[in-house]
Amino acid sequence: MSGATDTRRLDVGPAVHRIPLPRGSVPHVRTGSVVQPDQVLASRRTIGEPIRLPLAGPLARSAAEAGELVLVRPGARLEPDEPIARAPDGREVRAPGHAIFLAYSKTDGAALLVTLGAESQVIGHVSGTVLQVTRSHISVAVPGARLEGVGGVGDAVHGELVVAVHSNDEELRAGAIDVSAAGKIVIGGSRASAETLTRARAMGVAGIVLGGILDKELRDFAAIQRRRREIGGLTGSFAVVLLEGYGKVALDAQLFAWLRAHAGHTASLFGSTCTMPGRPRPARRSPRWATVSSSTAGRSRDAAGCWWACSTSSTRRRPGLRR
Amino acid sequence: MSDDGPMATAARPTAELSLLVDAGSAWTKASVVGRTRGRWRIVAHAAQPSAWDESVLIRALVDRMREAVDQRLRDEAVDLIAAAPRISCHTPFRPGRLAIAAVTGELSGAAARHAAESAGWLVVETAAADDGRPLPERLSALTSAEVDGWLIVGGFDDARPEQAIEAAAIIAAARGGGRSPVIWAGSTLLADEVCALFDPGVVTTVANPRPSADEEDAAPLRHHLEELLDRLVESGGTRNLAPIGFRRTIAEIARQEGLRVGAVDLGARYATWVAADGTGHEVIVESRVFAAGGLGAPSLATASSIGRLARTMPIAIDELAVADTLQNMRSRPGTIPYSDEELAVTLAAARARLTALAEQRGSEPVDLLIGAGRIFAAAPTPMQAMRLMLEGLRPPGVTQLAIDAAGALPPLGSLPDDQIAEGIGVLRDDLLVPLGTTVVTRGGRTAQVAIRARLHRTGWPEPAPVEVRYGQVVVLPLPRGEVAELELELEGGAVLPAGRRAHKARVTVSGGTVGLVLDARDVPLHLPRRVDDRRQVLAGWREILLREPVQAAPVEVPTARQPGAAQRILRLAGLGDRAARTAADAGGDSARASNEEAEQAEPDDARDGR
Repeated sequence: MSGATDTRRLDVGPAVHRIPLPRGSVPHVRTGSVVQPDQVLASRRTIGEPIRLPLAGPLARSAAEAGELVLVRPGARLEPDEPIARAPDGREVRAPGHAIFLAYSKTDGAALLVTLGAESQVIGHVSGTVLQVTRSHISVAVPGARLEGVGGVGDAVHGELVVAVHSNDEELRAGAIDVSAAGKIVIGGSRASAETLTRARAMGVAGIVLGGILDKELRDFAAIQRRRREIGGLTGSFAVVLLEGYGKVALDAQLFAWLRAHAGHTASLFGSTCTMPGRPRPARRSPRWATVSSSTAGRSRDAAGCWWACSTSSTRRRPGLRR
Repeated sequence: MSDDGPMATAARPTAELSLLVDAGSAWTKASVVGRTRGRWRIVAHAAQPSAWDESVLIRALVDRMREAVDQRLRDEAVDLIAAAPRISCHTPFRPGRLAIAAVTGELSGAAARHAAESAGWLVVETAAADDGRPLPERLSALTSAEVDGWLIVGGFDDARPEQAIEAAAIIAAARGGGRSPVIWAGSTLLADEVCALFDPGVVTTVANPRPSADEEDAAPLRHHLEELLDRLVESGGTRNLAPIGFRRTIAEIARQEGLRVGAVDLGARYATWVAADGTGHEVIVESRVFAAGGLGAPSLATASSIGRLARTMPIAIDELAVADTLQNMRSRPGTIPYSDEELAVTLAAARARLTALAEQRGSEPVDLLIGAGRIFAAAPTPMQAMRLMLEGLRPPGVTQLAIDAAGALPPLGSLPDDQIAEGIGVLRDDLLVPLGTTVVTRGGRTAQVAIRARLHRTGWPEPAPVEVRYGQVVVLPLPRGEVAELELELEGGAVLPAGRRAHKARVTVSGGTVGLVLDARDVPLHLPRRVDDRRQVLAGWREILLREPVQAAPVEVPTARQPGAAQRILRLAGLGDRAARTAADAGGDSARASNEEAEQAEPDDARDGR
């Protein structure tokens, strides 16, 4: 595939980033709040283990009769000590903690509950001003440039931008990554091997931006990460974003120069879960290359300016011809 | 769009134009419909990636109609096209997303998934009690899913499985209130219990797609999901959606011509298949819309799919290159292949998607098969387009093949009901590009003759019989616009599909840009197991099919006696009652007049370029 119809865009200036909230999340920010990349925007309880809670025995009823005494509906979220079932004589069965009531079995007279574990945090990884808070997402206006890639893997991360190659068509070698890159977003060149990605992950690099990578190597790397996560040996977040295409593809020279000019800025990457429907109908083509707006000129880590990149897997430009 | 009559030089010329626009997910197609010599014609059409600006497309249209447009209007052409009324449609802005909770992944889960996917939904999560994941993991996955609706299935109609209630409870827990609709399509005995888990009015009960172990009927569920999708995702009206417009146009073609018409629109994201039977009093239309069935389908870029594609290509291409090409195609669907390898991968991917569609629809024979989408319209040669349809869809029997080169069928379907017929009527000569006719047989024995055919062409000497052995494909020249009699003898166990099981048949076939294809490669295609053998066979077929395209020979019979090219392809004598009647009437004075005008009005390059 040629790059004749490049859909990647570099949008400079405030743009809207949407952070999806899993159902049941409690937002900790409100409209107008100024947020930082590592700030907790919302929290939710993780889903824990299922438990079977006997109801018929404690209520001194048969399994069928106890079913009539259940006070909550399947799917209900239970607070600790909230009554689940109550008999006319005052006997009660209460929730052992935060849980979800799923079902009652008339066969064994037990309720099926799923416990809710510790609170997990939703971090935005962007700085800006909160525009909207809903049940499903938080929208943040980000004073930076947005760059859409063509693919990627991993989580949402942020960090300082560093350039690890000398030219746009240079391959990112494993040897170019050392401990000084820990916590940073590394700009690579035309490709990186699975070995390089694994080393970067081990060194604590937050994310890597590449022109291209072989699909097979990216797939292998993702599989290794998945297996490590399954056995519990994986900590921290890591993201890879491709800007040009699959295979060995050099970064565009202008784009590389732009990235190099912004080394030291804070950047955010969204590897595979980027959703940016903040602009439902951009009817016109935006400039392929954009100059940096004045708001992105600061070099401070906490400066308002940042740019971020994401995979285009879930974003799409609206067709230009529409009435 | 030119002036007529004696006062033309003095009067200010006027332009009557309108635009047919199909804004797809990757490509935007536009056709200029103009009035020329008293008739409405498609005078130019162009396509460009949807990300590009509208003005680029308008300039492309102006360039293409530069020769045809009145000189006095050339400077104004851009403004005229920009201001022209538009008949437009578009690919859905986003697909409806659905989560499914099922008792079993293989039975109720699979039936629900097929119904949802063929109704245009994107199934983002399926949680089945037997999928191997622990309950918290399933619940967690459903809780994290961003969806527009929920579907719960499970339990035969005479059973009350507890797992079905558990599935409903998981959805109730994952959904956490809100307004998203819930559909219960499980055991009828459990409907009340499931409804009680949710707020009043949230749950809709639909007929169980698996009412018993040996029965499956997903039609009611699919129809309900189609209605729900229209209501939820495109609440402003569905007529302007390309899949809906495509279905309406195909139904009207089938009605007008009295034919069984099959049509496939293969896009970057969506794939639509329509079957319309116009042979009865009322048109029976059935369609399937796959939100993730296009060339950018994620299922194409899986490791197993990549390996399968690499093994079924006539040239040896490294699997790594195949994978990269597929990923680039998915992430940038508006690009075009620039090397033979990329073209081979693109065509193989398209063939794989068409094969998947064919498996969904079954192998019912049709009289006319239409291919739509850029993969057909922008194929390097007409034979490439025909080969895609032939090897991907394997239409059994005698079938006319045509492509929608201008991308005009979906926008036409966005017109009001009564105007679709009128639109097809006035543009019929320009809508479809006939590729030719194919004869595809089933069965046969290796190395034995499967088809013995004689093609009787008017004005040509008595032909020698052509023999096609099992596993072979032969292309005979039959230019566009020419109708001939084909005498078929089937041998060696080869048969035509139901309705044409006789071993001898005489059918009327019409030509096209490719000609007549006799295909005894069986349905589905049988390929050798060894890679080298398979590649050799595929390369042999490709060589036969991609030889020099059939050149248009002069038609020796008077054109006045022939219906127009598109009419000829639609009116296959003997393939529909109405077609037979219209074919018989084709020699009338009115038909002669209109066709003479059509032949004169149509510039050669416009005809060939379609």
